[in-house]
Amino acid sequence: MQSLRDIRQNIKAIRSTQQIMQTMKMISSARIRKAQQAMDNARPFAKKMLEMVSDLKQEVLAFPAPQEGEETWAGRFFVNKTGNPGKIGLIVITADKGLTGSFNAVILRAAVAFLKEHQDQEISVFCIGKKGRDFISRLRHKNIHIVYESVGIFPKVTYAHAELLGEAVMKEFFEKKLSSVTLIYNDFKSMGSQRLAQYEVLPFTLQSQTQKKDETEFLFEPGVKEIFRILVPRLMKADMYRVLLESQAANLAATMNAMDAASKNAGELADALGVTLNKVRQAGITNEILDIVNGAEALNS
Amino acid sequence: MAKTLYLNLVTPQKQLLDSVAVESVVLPAAAGELGVLPGHLPMIVQLGYGSLRYKVNGKEEEFAVLGGLAEILREGVNVFAEGADLADEIDEEAEKQKIKRAKESLSRKDADIDFELAELEIKQAIARMKVKKHHLG
Repeated sequence: MQSLRDIRQNIKAIRSTQQIMQTMKMISSARIRKAQQAMDNARPFAKKMLEMVSDLKQEVLAFPAPQEGEETWAGRFFVNKTGNPGKIGLIVITADKGLTGSFNAVILRAAVAFLKEHQDQEISVFCIGKKGRDFISRLRHKNIHIVYESVGIFPKVTYAHAELLGEAVMKEFFEKKLSSVTLIYNDFKSMGSQRLAQYEVLPFTLQSQTQKKDETEFLFEPGVKEIFRILVPRLMKADMYRVLLESQAANLAATMNAMDAASKNAGELADALGVTLNKVRQAGITNEILDIVNGAEALNS
Repeated sequence: MAKTLYLNLVTPQKQLLDSVAVESVVLPAAAGELGVLPGHLPMIVQLGYGSLRYKVNGKEEEFAVLGGLAEILREGVNVFAEGADLADEIDEEAEKQKIKRAKESLSRKDADIDFELAELEIKQAIARMKVKKHHLG
């Protein structure tokens, strides 16, 4: 049987751990409000941009068949007929730290499944977040190359981070002639749940037209090529900004929930130990009383 | 034909105007200012640094816009700006300070100064001040 002192020490340790977890939960919930606001503020730009590109669908599809040279620079990002099927890209967005329940594990599992499925192709990997970077750099497969990494940006994501990532992805996509780039991250669904999201960011997917109702063609000022030259990077960066903010909010929500559950568990554990403590103490007292009673009996007889 | 246009102004960080019904819009196109009235031909325009003005009930509002794109449709205009500030909220003193600081860092000839960034900051501050002056005058 444990001694009273051991149990007391145990309870003390558990209570102080619980306090740490509660504090972490409070920090996350304080930050999440800001993260959510940033996310809501960034959503209209990305959404409207996609709507505009969808309006331009006809113009995009009418792009000259890609040949060598500058002419087709923008076309590559939409139609991409010259991409090398043996080369693809993967963007993995995880958190920098653990203590977030299954947040990172879910992403890494999906990433491993993806890498396995495409192990015959050369894969350029873009890692955001320390957990993902560490994990993927340990894989050491000859076809997996980490071409870009960015750690320590959460929970202070800015548009500049999205610009760096977007530029790196576009450069790799264009220069190495990747056939597609897939993104794996956690979508912020609600405070209580995140959803694993996986989709192809490049080439861009075109939705059906939304705003432009008539069939008139657009005029371009100064010219269609110039417009696409400035439009493509903005579209890419806006999308990256959106997913970084989504991940950030999802990560904070996951931390909050994980810490809440953990501190509840710690509370239960401490309570159970408290019951044991009382039992042990009571048993000790009973034994002492028995001793005294027996001693008195012995004297009397 | 409708008498008003809707106007959306978004930056990557924020939506500044959400479907505001306006009578006319003047856009800072890269090649010069461009006025838009309801029923304009669909058009995509590159924007430069300059002022975005629009009229609501005869009253004119003004924003300083720092580059981007605009999509003009018959019913409205979507402006995708890199940055935008309401003219009334531009603080000239703060802008002057920014220019001063950027110039100082340019004049120090350390190797690790981002020249492009400093120059960009000066250009943006000047553009904002111009819009502010125009708005006041």
